[in-house]
Amino acid sequence: MPAVVACFKWVVDEAYIRRGPSGDLDFSSVDYKIGDYDRNAIEEAARLKEALGAEAVAVTVGVPEAAKGVKDALSRGADRACFAVDDSFGNLDSYETAFILSQVISTKMDKYKLIICGEGSSDLYAQQVGPRLAEMLGIPCVSFVQKVSVANERLLAERRVDEGVEVVEVPFPALITVRPDINVPRIPGVKDTLMAGKKPSVRITKDELPSHGGPLLRTISVEASKMERICERFGTDKAEIARFVWSLRKSGVIE
Amino acid sequence: MAGIWILADSRERAFELLNIGREMADRAGTRVVAVLRVREQAEESISRGADEVILLPSLPADQPYEAYITPISEEVRKENPDLVLLPATVAGKNMAVLMAARLGAGLVSSCTSLGFDEKNKTFVMERLMYGGTAVQKVVCTTRPTMATIPPRTFEAAQPLSGRRGPIRELRKPSSSAVKVIERRPKEKETKDITEARVIICVGRGMDKKEDLTLAKQLAEAVGGAIGCTRPIAEEFHWLPEDLCIGLSGVQVKPDLYLGIGVSGQVQHVTGIRGAKVIAAINKDENAPIFKVADLGIIGDLYDVMPKLVCEMQGRT
Amino acid sequence: MDFKLTEEQELIRKNVREFCEKNIDPIAVEIDENSRHPAELFKKLAEGGWMGIPIPSEYGGAGGDFLTGTIVVEELSRSCASTGFTISTHAGIVCTMVLMFGTEDQKKTYLAPLAEGRQLGAFALTEPGAGTDVMAITTAAVPDGNDYIINGAKTFTSNGPTAGTYLVFAWTDKSAGRKGMSALIVPREAPGLRIGEHFKKMGLRSSQTSEVIFKDCRIPKNNVLGKEGAGLPMAMAGFDGGRIGIAAQCVGILQGALEESIRYSKERVQFGAPISRNQAIAWMIADMATDLSAARFLTYHAAWLKDQKLPFSKESAMAKLYASEAAMRHTVKAVQIHGGYGYCKGAKVERLMRDAKITEIYEGTSEAQRMVISGSVLR
Repeated sequence: MPAVVACFKWVVDEAYIRRGPSGDLDFSSVDYKIGDYDRNAIEEAARLKEALGAEAVAVTVGVPEAAKGVKDALSRGADRACFAVDDSFGNLDSYETAFILSQVISTKMDKYKLIICGEGSSDLYAQQVGPRLAEMLGIPCVSFVQKVSVANERLLAERRVDEGVEVVEVPFPALITVRPDINVPRIPGVKDTLMAGKKPSVRITKDELPSHGGPLLRTISVEASKMERICERFGTDKAEIARFVWSLRKSGVIE
Repeated sequence: MAGIWILADSRERAFELLNIGREMADRAGTRVVAVLRVREQAEESISRGADEVILLPSLPADQPYEAYITPISEEVRKENPDLVLLPATVAGKNMAVLMAARLGAGLVSSCTSLGFDEKNKTFVMERLMYGGTAVQKVVCTTRPTMATIPPRTFEAAQPLSGRRGPIRELRKPSSSAVKVIERRPKEKETKDITEARVIICVGRGMDKKEDLTLAKQLAEAVGGAIGCTRPIAEEFHWLPEDLCIGLSGVQVKPDLYLGIGVSGQVQHVTGIRGAKVIAAINKDENAPIFKVADLGIIGDLYDVMPKLVCEMQGRT
Repeated sequence: MDFKLTEEQELIRKNVREFCEKNIDPIAVEIDENSRHPAELFKKLAEGGWMGIPIPSEYGGAGGDFLTGTIVVEELSRSCASTGFTISTHAGIVCTMVLMFGTEDQKKTYLAPLAEGRQLGAFALTEPGAGTDVMAITTAAVPDGNDYIINGAKTFTSNGPTAGTYLVFAWTDKSAGRKGMSALIVPREAPGLRIGEHFKKMGLRSSQTSEVIFKDCRIPKNNVLGKEGAGLPMAMAGFDGGRIGIAAQCVGILQGALEESIRYSKERVQFGAPISRNQAIAWMIADMATDLSAARFLTYHAAWLKDQKLPFSKESAMAKLYASEAAMRHTVKAVQIHGGYGYCKGAKVERLMRDAKITEIYEGTSEAQRMVISGSVLR
C-alpha cells in the first residue's frame, strides 16, 4: 500500500525550560513532546489516508529516547512508524535531518504519495526540513498550507502568502508543510495510547544509512534571551509616539 | 569577496535588507547586488546602496514565486556571492530555503542580528530558539552563507545621491510543477476577545463612556479587539462583562496588550500574563502596570491617543 | 524498585492534562458556581474513552490498569475535583465492582454502557441512619416470585440524579447478619425508584448528590450482583478500590494548590519583593510540595498493589487518610498565601479548599480509615 508520510521531531518542551540563578538556561527538569506543528502533520496524514488510498507512516530522526515519541505518533493515527536512531542524531541541522529523512523515505519504505511536515520544529523553528527534503527527493513542495484536498490524482492546496491566500495544484508525489490552523490534532484516548506499542515500527541505525557529510551550520552558543519586561519609556510628543509605534511594528505584534 | 546579494519582492523589505547588506559589504570589502521583482524599484535601490540590480522577469499568472528558483540559483552559482539575504516573509522564507536546498547552502532563518567576524572572515548570526526562550549564535560552513531577516529588524537604508549601477534582467524561468489556480486577498476577521491577537484595554483612567470611541478608533486602526478592567463593566456598565480581563474575568494571551488608563492591579494583570508584548499609557508613573509592561507612555491618554491613532493609520 | 511510570502512562497523563486544559478549565468555575453537571463534558470524556479505563476492552473499557485510571483521576481533579470524583466513583467503584463480581450476563448487559460512558453509575449504600455504621442500613429487598421488592431510602448518593445504573445495598436476609446483605443492580427506569432531595454542598458542587428512594421497587432476582448475601464483603472490596480514587483526587487537588501558590507567590510583590522570597511563605510551599509527593507515592503504591493482585486494603486506607488530610491542610494554606484574593470567587484556591473538605468524610471518614489501619497493624 502506498504511504502518506508524516515527519515529526521529538523536542524539548520549552514550557519546562527554567532560568538558573545567574540567568542561564536550566534544562534539568525538561520534558519532551512531539513538536506542536508536527502534531498537525500527523493529524493531517491520518485524515488524508483514506482519500489517498494510503497508510499513514510516521517518520522521525532522533536519539534512542525519542522512541517515546514514536509511540506517541502511533497513538495519533499513524499506522506504522520508521525511526532513524543514533546517539549522534540529537543536534542535527536542517540539512542533516532532511538528508537522513530522504534516505529513509526513498530506500527503507514503500512508495509514498504525499509527505507532510509541520511548518517548523518547536525548538529551532528554522522552517527548512520540509522544503529541503522535497528538493532532495526531487518532488514539488508547497509550504504554509492551511487546507488540502485530493482531486483527480492531484493535490489541491490552499497556502498562506503575504498578500492573502493562494490555491495551488501539484501532481503526486509531493510534499507539503502545514500551518497549525489546518486542523485540530486529536487528543489520543487511553485505548489509542495502549494500542500504539503494538503497531509495526522499524528502527534504522546510522550504519544502514549513507553519511550526510556534516552540518551546514555550526552553533557557537545558546544563551538565555532577556526575559524581564523592562519597561521602555516613551514621551508624548509626535516623534516619541512614532518611535513607540515603530517598536510595536518591529516586534511583529502589529502591522 | 564576491558580493552580498539581497532578494526582496517588496519595496520596504528591499530597503531594510539594503541597509544591512550595505553595512556587511563595507565591512567585508565587497559589493551589493539587489535582485528585485519590480523595475520601478531598481533606481531607488541603487541610490539606497545596491551596486547592481538584477530584475526578475514577469511570470504568467499560473506560476508561483518559486518558479524563479532555478534561474536565481544558476546566477548565484555563476557569480558566487558570499552572503545572500532574503526577508523572513512567507515568500522570502519559501524562496530562501528552496534556493539553499538547490545550492547545498546553509541557511540561518529569522536572524535577529547579523555581524561580520573580521578575523575569520565569516558572518555571525543570532536567532531565537525554544519559542523565544533562548538566543542561538550561528555561523555557516558553506559558501554562500544564506540568511532570512524578519521585517523591520533594520530600518530602511537612506538614499544617497550620485550613486550609479547597472540594471539587467534575468532569463525567464521554465514552468514550475506547482500551478497557481487562484489568488485570494486577505480578509478582515471578527474576533472574540480571547482569540484576539491585539487587545486595547480600557481602565478607570477614561473619564466618560463617550471616550470609548477613542479606544475603538485605535482598535480599528490595528485590527484589535476592545477589552476592559472590571470596574468599567461592573461599576460603570460601559462595556459588557464578557470583555472584562482579569482574575474573575477572562484570561487573554494576545500578541499585543495595550492598557489605556489601566492602573495594573494584580487582579487585572493576572489575566494578561501571557501576552507577548504589554504596553501601557497612564499619567501616573508609579502605576503598577509599568512594572509588568514592555513599553510605557507616561502621559495623558487624551493627549496621546489621537496621536497614536494618527500614527497607526498613517501606515495602512 | 522501579519508580518509573510506563511510557504509556506518561503519554496518557500528558493527554488527559491537555484534555483538561482544553475542555474542563474553561468551565470549572461556572459548573461549581451553578452546581451544574456538564453533560456536554461527559460526552467528550466518553468519546475519548476516559470513562472506563480499568475495564477490559471486551466490556467496552480502555483495557488499562488501575494505576493508569488513578493517574487520570488525579489529572482530572487538578482541574476540577468534582469531575475527577465523578469518574472515580463511576469507573473505580461501580464499573470495577460489576467487573469483579458480576456474572457474565450481568457484565454483558450492564458493564458496556457504563464503561463506554453512555451511562453513569452510582453506588447507593449510605442511608440517613447508616454512615460509617454500614450494618445499620434498613433498606430491604423482599423476595416475590422471581423478583425482589426493594423498599428504603438512600442518601448522599453521588451521581444519584444523573446515573443510569445503581448498585443498591439492601438486606435480602436480615437474620443472616453479616451474610444477609446483597448488592443489587438497579436500572434508573426500574418502577418505584425515585430521586429525592438534591443536596446543596459546600464544595464538589458540580458533582450531583441526592437521596434515592425505593418504594416497592421491583427488580428481577438475576440482578443480584454476584452471590446473594455477599453484599458486605463486596462493599468493602469496593471501598478498597474507591479509596485509591479519592486519594488520587486529593493528589490532584494538592497539585493544583501547589501550582497556584507557586505562581501567585512569585507575582505578588509586597515591601518591594515577591512574597515567595519570604521564608514563611517559602516554607509553606515546601511543606505543601513534600506532602504532595508523599500522598502521590502512597496513592500510586496502593494502585500498584491492586494491579499486582496483592493485598492493598491497609495501603489504600493509608493513602486516602494521608492524602485527604494533606489536601485539607494545604488548601487552607494556599488560600492564606493568596491573601484576600484567595478568599474571592474566581480564585482557584477558593474552590480547592471547599472541595477538599469532603475528602476527609466520604468513602470512609478519616476516623474509619484509622480503624482499618489500626485493625490491620495491631493484629
